[in-house]
Amino acid sequence: MTDDPLARFEQRLGRLLVSGVVVSAVLLATGLLFWLWRPGAPPTAWLLNAGLIVLMGTPIVRVIVSVAEYVRLREWVFVIVTLIVLTELTVTVGVALTRR
Amino acid sequence: MVGVVTVCGAVAGALGALLGIGGGVFLVPFLNAFFGIDFKTAAAISLVTVIATSSAVSAGTTGRQLINLRLGMLLEVASAAGGVAAGVSIAHISDIALERAFAVATAGIALLMLSRLEQRNVIRDPAADPGPLGGRFHDEESGGEVVYQVRRLPIALAASFLAGNVSAAFGIGGGILKVPALNAWCGVPMRAAAATSSLMIGVTAVASVPIQYAHGYVKPPLAAAAVLGVLVGSRAGLWFAGRARAKWLKGLMAAVLVLVSLIYFRRSL
Repeated sequence: MTDDPLARFEQRLGRLLVSGVVVSAVLLATGLLFWLWRPGAPPTAWLLNAGLIVLMGTPIVRVIVSVAEYVRLREWVFVIVTLIVLTELTVTVGVALTRR
Repeated sequence: MVGVVTVCGAVAGALGALLGIGGGVFLVPFLNAFFGIDFKTAAAISLVTVIATSSAVSAGTTGRQLINLRLGMLLEVASAAGGVAAGVSIAHISDIALERAFAVATAGIALLMLSRLEQRNVIRDPAADPGPLGGRFHDEESGGEVVYQVRRLPIALAASFLAGNVSAAFGIGGGILKVPALNAWCGVPMRAAAATSSLMIGVTAVASVPIQYAHGYVKPPLAAAAVLGVLVGSRAGLWFAGRARAKWLKGLMAAVLVLVSLIYFRRSL
């Protein structure tokens, strides 16, 4: 296989994405069971929201990890490209936080 | 209700994984047209499932070098910008105008897809130069390593920006616009386009979904049910996608586009 560093990077990203999905799925499933069993129970809202936040956070973490990876590979063009994406996501999260 | 949403999620997830799109394009009509959940809530829930599909499908695709990380990140600049722009400005555009535009776009892409069923985009010479943005992968259909080059990058960027807009407006990943554009115009083979798009849609969705979440459109129990359904469905879709022929996938994609176009034409009347 050619392009070895990128292939390893791809596999590490894969593990990151799996972790994010598994953690959020466990939180959401537990939260949903609580909700079905006793909708008002205290941990219900916390579990569901935590699951959603982990889910939404996973792609953002992927972008952050990608910045570090392109720095390590010294691909400066892609460092800048990835930082632009990260900035765009920061704008959205900022808008969301100010509208709460 | 929660059970119904889970099943809808599973079906949408399976179709989405099969086609390299989020599946939101099926989930929004299911939730909105059939079950009467208001459009903005349906779109927001769908967008959350798009993130789950993206992470799950991408994780299942890694290791085969189908995902073009460089091209994906470059196009994410445009799709995230489209998502942010639409997320902020969508209130000023009427739903009818958006839905008509979407109906026209999907119909156009379906025609394009059908007219290029035979196009494979791959160079069967492992020594060929993929260029700065192209890639190479092991092609199961021809049984060897194949190379492709990315052409007409501005079209890919424009399609990604539009996909970002549509994603925020309709609660879909936007792969339904990007995958055909990358395949038909930009030289990317179907499987690589689908894998790259699957990775991208997570970021595209995150470019607008936190705003909808802050507004309370993401109803947590329904979103949880839909996400869990989509995760199960996308496993099934992924298993099937590895065994299907590229030509068959394109045909199915075109059929889906025609159907979606008809639904949206009807909705906008």
